[in-house]
Amino acid sequence: MKILGLAAIGTALLFGTAHAQRPGPDTLVVAQTTDPDSLDPAQIRSRDASNIAQHVFATLYEVDREGNLSPYLAESYAISDSGTEISFKLRSGLTCDDGSKLSAQDVAYSFQRAADPANRFTGNTPGFVLDAVHYKGVRVDDDLNVTILTNEYSPIAVGLLAETFIHCKAPYEKMTLARAAQTMVGSGPYRFVRWDRNDKVVLERVEGFKLRPAPFKTIVWRDIPEASTRATELLAGNVDIITNLSPDQIGRVNASAAAKSATVPGTRRIFVGFNQKPEFAKTLGGAAIQKVEVRHALQYAVDVPTICANLLQSPCRRATGLVNPPNDNKSLTPTPYDPAMAEKLLDEAGYKRGKDGIRFSLTLQGPRDRYINDTNIELAIGQYLSDIGVETKVEPMEFASTYSPLIRLHNAGPLFLLGSGGGTWSALYDMADIVAPNGGTNYTEWNDPEWFDGWKKINASRDPVAQKAIIDNMQRVFYERGPWLLLYFQPNYYAVSTKLDWAPRSDEMIYLYDAKRK
Amino acid sequence: MNDAPTLVQPTRSRPWRRARRSLARAKWPLLAMVILAVVTIAAVVGPSLAPKDPNRQNVIARLQQPMTPNRAGKVEFQLGTDGLGRDVLSRLIFGARVSLLVGLNAVVIGGALGTSLGLIAGYFGGKIDDVIMRIADIQLAFPFILLAIMFLVVLGPGVMNLIIILGIGQWVIYARIARGQTISLREKEYVEAARALGAGTCTILFATTLPNILAPLTVIASFNVASVILSEAALSFLGLGVPLTVPTWGAMLAESRDQLLAGRWWLAIFPGAAIMLTVLSFNILGDWLRDFLDPRLKQTS
Repeated sequence: MKILGLAAIGTALLFGTAHAQRPGPDTLVVAQTTDPDSLDPAQIRSRDASNIAQHVFATLYEVDREGNLSPYLAESYAISDSGTEISFKLRSGLTCDDGSKLSAQDVAYSFQRAADPANRFTGNTPGFVLDAVHYKGVRVDDDLNVTILTNEYSPIAVGLLAETFIHCKAPYEKMTLARAAQTMVGSGPYRFVRWDRNDKVVLERVEGFKLRPAPFKTIVWRDIPEASTRATELLAGNVDIITNLSPDQIGRVNASAAAKSATVPGTRRIFVGFNQKPEFAKTLGGAAIQKVEVRHALQYAVDVPTICANLLQSPCRRATGLVNPPNDNKSLTPTPYDPAMAEKLLDEAGYKRGKDGIRFSLTLQGPRDRYINDTNIELAIGQYLSDIGVETKVEPMEFASTYSPLIRLHNAGPLFLLGSGGGTWSALYDMADIVAPNGGTNYTEWNDPEWFDGWKKINASRDPVAQKAIIDNMQRVFYERGPWLLLYFQPNYYAVSTKLDWAPRSDEMIYLYDAKRK
Repeated sequence: MNDAPTLVQPTRSRPWRRARRSLARAKWPLLAMVILAVVTIAAVVGPSLAPKDPNRQNVIARLQQPMTPNRAGKVEFQLGTDGLGRDVLSRLIFGARVSLLVGLNAVVIGGALGTSLGLIAGYFGGKIDDVIMRIADIQLAFPFILLAIMFLVVLGPGVMNLIIILGIGQWVIYARIARGQTISLREKEYVEAARALGAGTCTILFATTLPNILAPLTVIASFNVASVILSEAALSFLGLGVPLTVPTWGAMLAESRDQLLAGRWWLAIFPGAAIMLTVLSFNILGDWLRDFLDPRLKQTS
């Protein structure tokens, strides 16, 4: 009886604990797949970390659900005739979380700090935005006016600059870089409360912030890498929204009363990168993928529609480039699955099968539990390549601490699976991943001269029709000689508590401004 | 009166006969031996037994339930397929190989190392004993699975690394038993006699003392195989065991996690049952060996 009593108390405690974890009506809990590797606004680069940060840091402008620019901290902007000066007029009365006034000096500091080579930042702003806008410097015109100076005109500069998190100079100047990686002093509708590593980030509403609504007092961003655990936590009522719902669990979630799945077409481009870094050319396989003919042959080896239909449980059209529809080059057709053609082209390229049936060997690195069904997709691609004699060793890795640094330093590979976030508001936004041979997001270090000449031509043109022709030609170059084994645009699978009203976006950005309890 | 000489059975055959009788009386150890024999056969002749290549993917046929007939009405995958359409039965058969390979080899490494060090510590005593046993204490202070994870992160996954790490992790248990037994035996008359006859230290340790402490070590080893198999499964479950292309029961369990919620029970049940039956069999056999080799221990327990 004593044992039974103890068991009953234990069970009650367990259930009590589970119940205690359930969010209250004024708390929203979102479960994502990865923990941030840094909270520094200049070092944040992953979508999961950005989702947290964009509730803490405001930006000059914002790209809305439909892809339109809407003013945020800035109320207007103007571009000079040369196209190399973009001036922003700030709203008055802005402040940061620590109470300090947010002025044009702080906006300038946000860019200068990110661009400072001494800080060695590799986040989205220094590693992508500043490269893509050809950043030269920043000028403070007065307290409310600031001008970004660039070396070249870029038609998408304002949209790109809208991704930079604005923060105040005073608190960040007082912090060491190590400290800045662990905390956030923001300018947006929520303030940072705490970060329990590999567990959660807690944010709290900034009372009186008027530029965006903040319907919940507290937002908790939980890091739950494993898909089944995320789904279980949602079904148990401990979480309100989960990202990357496993397609295999959609039926189970929809059969419950606790949550429903929400699927939207995605803009994330999933691809296998052929790393062109000279260090990788020391092996036979690494040298082989530096050749256009080999990369072209390998495109035929992978059955992308079958991967989509079975491992993503969603039909897909194979990507023809790095640009999301509807901005893609419509004259390009997806490479079909044709292993015989792949073998023929490899033979012609001089890579015949050896006595053991192997042409050359490669390692395919990739993340584990970052993208939908990623490990299985990596294994499937490994199988397809091995079938045509390209012996492929698959190495899935933990994303935040192991794989992400490899990618950032362009050291993943020689083959690596990656998903790069994209958008539908401009073809150039998607193409800006590869804006310079040594650019931060040119992870393959591809340096095709025709591609980079294309960028110069676009930036020299002001005619949208002429720009479209150049863009289409660049997409053709990428299709024929590019550094990606083209796969698909990943659909977004979310699951949302039935007690919450919230709709996902195709660009994977999670804005909780319009979420509300039913 | 019959003066004919009485035939005396060779004493060496008696323990075997006793063992057979004991096994026949106690049915569970016999069943355990049958299960272990099946696992061993699967491990040894796995490639010719397995109906398919355990790594061959067929994504169109993924997540098929056990005994699902194909269009021709024939059952192609008796135990179903996993998330990549790989044959669960073939992976289970190949998984036995890794489990036994790792389990037995790690115990051999740990047993050989631990027994040698235990014999030396027990025989020499003094500072040598202190040093060896303090090293053992330090190792025991670390949770073993944490230690194994730390080494595997540094060395990288792989069967050989797994065997070495799990083997090194086991030496302490053998060292402590061998030391205790050696201390109690080193003053025995037959050891004194060997010493008086001029036997060297190695001979006294490994030819005179070791055979007399083998019984408890054998019992411990049989339990230990079970615990090493569980550790291998745990490390493979965490993705630190062997590469993804090597099928193991632990890795199969890990891969089943995402599918359990969706009701794909066969992906967890079969490898789980294989681990449970193998570990249980080694434990039952260990229990029986303990009772058989030293009935006093049974009374104590």
